[in-house]
Amino acid sequence: MAPPARLSINVLSRSFPGVKALDGVSLEVAAGEVHGLLGENGAGKSTLLKILSGVQAAESGEIRIDGAVVVPAAPVAARRAGIAMIHQELQQVPELTVAQTMFLGRQLVRAGVFVDRAAQEARCRAILAGLDPGIDPAARIRDLTVARRQLVEIGRALLDDARIIAMDEPTSSLTPAEFDRLAGVIEGLRPRGVAVIYVSHKLDEVKRVCSRATVLRDGRVVGRVDLAGTAIPALVSMMVGRDLATAGHSSFVRPQTLLSVRGLARGAAVRDVDFDLRAGEVLGIAGLVGSGRTELLRLIAGADRPSAGEMVLDGKPFLPPSPRAAIAVGIGLVPEERKRDGILPLRPIASNVAIATLGRFTAAGWIRRSRLRAAVTALVRRMALRPLDIDRPIRLFSGGNQQKAIIARWLAAEARILLFDEPTRGIDVGAKAEIYGLIEQFAREGRAVIVVSSDMMEILRVSDRVLVMREGTAAAMLDRSELSEEAIMRHAVPVSAIEKEAA
Amino acid sequence: MSAVPEADAGRRPVLRAMPSLRDAGTLIGLALIVVVFASLTPSFLTERNLINILQQSSINACIAIGMTLVIIQGGIDLSVGPVAALSAVLSTSLLVAGYPVPVAIAAGLLIGAGCGLVNGLLVAYGGLQPFIVTLGTLSLFRALALIYTGGNPVLGVPAEFRAIFNGTMLGIPTPVVIVAAIAAAAGLMLRKTPLGEYLLAVGGNEEAAYIAGVPIRATKIAAYVISAVLAALASLILVGRLGAAEPILGNLWELDAIAAAAIGGASLMGGKGSIFGTILGAVILGAMRNGLTLLNVQAFYQLLATGLIIILAMLIDRAARGAG
Repeated sequence: MAPPARLSINVLSRSFPGVKALDGVSLEVAAGEVHGLLGENGAGKSTLLKILSGVQAAESGEIRIDGAVVVPAAPVAARRAGIAMIHQELQQVPELTVAQTMFLGRQLVRAGVFVDRAAQEARCRAILAGLDPGIDPAARIRDLTVARRQLVEIGRALLDDARIIAMDEPTSSLTPAEFDRLAGVIEGLRPRGVAVIYVSHKLDEVKRVCSRATVLRDGRVVGRVDLAGTAIPALVSMMVGRDLATAGHSSFVRPQTLLSVRGLARGAAVRDVDFDLRAGEVLGIAGLVGSGRTELLRLIAGADRPSAGEMVLDGKPFLPPSPRAAIAVGIGLVPEERKRDGILPLRPIASNVAIATLGRFTAAGWIRRSRLRAAVTALVRRMALRPLDIDRPIRLFSGGNQQKAIIARWLAAEARILLFDEPTRGIDVGAKAEIYGLIEQFAREGRAVIVVSSDMMEILRVSDRVLVMREGTAAAMLDRSELSEEAIMRHAVPVSAIEKEAA
Repeated sequence: MSAVPEADAGRRPVLRAMPSLRDAGTLIGLALIVVVFASLTPSFLTERNLINILQQSSINACIAIGMTLVIIQGGIDLSVGPVAALSAVLSTSLLVAGYPVPVAIAAGLLIGAGCGLVNGLLVAYGGLQPFIVTLGTLSLFRALALIYTGGNPVLGVPAEFRAIFNGTMLGIPTPVVIVAAIAAAAGLMLRKTPLGEYLLAVGGNEEAAYIAGVPIRATKIAAYVISAVLAALASLILVGRLGAAEPILGNLWELDAIAAAAIGGASLMGGKGSIFGTILGAVILGAMRNGLTLLNVQAFYQLLATGLIIILAMLIDRAARGAG
């Protein structure tokens, strides 16, 4: 009989309000195997990793390590069971040294009370020698590059004798040269018998690092593939579940310019951005995280003040001192962090929708409730809000329905320019399609829409033109005819990284 | 007005017209306290004593209404007692100096508004924590009242002024009528005006309210001004009752007011609270003290009981929310 797989996940399920995040997912990883986990945003990868690392509980299904059932009820339990997680955003204390970080929570102690620094650093040096001998165990985390911090995390996993290491988008902030080194380190984990789960959007990397992969879509396994024999386009269509070219796009761009932006800047975050926005146009803004996209939207929405540059709206100079002023001339922001910047959690849908335009429903100082309720009901019905109950506190609605209420807020305010920041993040697939439908409808009505998104499929689907941002600047403006993932990435990636690659 | 959508969607759920579930809970708490004291002492449940309780609760209720609005928008006002004192000694001085009663009342309320404006401006524009701002002005306003009077009470309030606050309307003491009217106005303001929506929005999620175009600073300033004006009004009621204004009056009023608001369901995190609940909270505290006094319970034990009732109310609140 063959030995049991190092890690075996059997029919794992987990739901959230309105979404089935994981629906009977099974997965096996052998000792010494590097296994890719693929899928679009919202496919269920993060949920799977969270269950594995003890952050969330599964509703049904089991996890076995070397044949024995483990229940990672808490992060500590997962770590004890031999599961280590390398997060995309590393969770480290910058002031601690490498050795302190690796031994955090399990210090080597001398004479009962004193941390044995020398012994800790010696063990670290031995482990790091196999990863990157250049890392000094006494160095502080804040002085290391992101790539080296990541290696420290891997070293910590090895120190814990982890049998399973899960890596979530480990290369999102690495240069190509650093990726090469990481690939080598991962290769070196194989002979130790560690099972590695490797989550990444970068399919060429996955092909290079992993031998096999599991593809998730809408919480289900849609494919188990041998990567050597599978081409990237085949992987993509498995992830997306449709041919990309078939996603339809209609253009409703009208000739007149609504908003002109010239030389707009805010410190180092946004630098010298120019563009024109026409009525009926959907302008996508692409770029890496931190390229200044959100900051640019906040300037237009009046949430922040520019340090330089000007905007012209309807041929008149426009410099909103507050969101209130921007709303008054027809601009509304649908923010990325819905919980933090979007919803008034305790208030009912009616208040959340009407809050930006109470004046419209007020006569002689009193809010006319019946008028307000009729207007809000008509709007959220058009948005297909579910459930259609405007007296229910918004926090009880799913993310997609909260988003619809925020959009309805700007329709109530008769916004002519809608600014969407990551409009479908954390939203289930059905609501996603509805939001794309709404964006198209707004364009048809002659409103202008700006969509900031990190989801390439989304940008390609909704945009008439795409502004690519890079390190705060407008790197390129691509027409729909020039649009492709490659074209966007070519402009989005910082020049320094390309130079490094060439070197 | 278009009748069609209103008939359909504009209809309000029947429940909306009634007090909320949380208010019903506070009401049950009050009923329990009344039943307990009524069974312990026959003099508790007399018309005269019940009116007494309302009169004794009116000052705290007046302060607590303002406090509730401040708490709802996410702040706290620790300076209400000193605001009351400053307003009392200055308006009483005007009375003693022979100014007409309406002028003195208007001056007292204006001084309150000025104090509230200081609090509001410091919170809204100074970017300071409300707790710290009003902790500072608590000392500051108290000091001004003491410096102005040299620490002595201002005596000689004219009978004309006292008559206003000591009279009755339809058999109900004037202060009770005044505070009831203010409670009704505050309740309407909270539910039916943009300012009410703004207070709830700012307290519930300030950042989201900002993005949604809510005038954050004006909303905050309004809350502190209302709170301080109501503190000034409470001090006038007290001066009318006592016939003198002491610069040390209103000591620890802020704590009673916060207690009434919390018992009534206001969340110190902001975004939640009910004027009706706060009034019930003030009456609960008043009824407790009144009942214990009738039973000849020592003041020390009254304090103990007040502390216990606050903690008990919060535990029940917490448990009820956990279950719901």
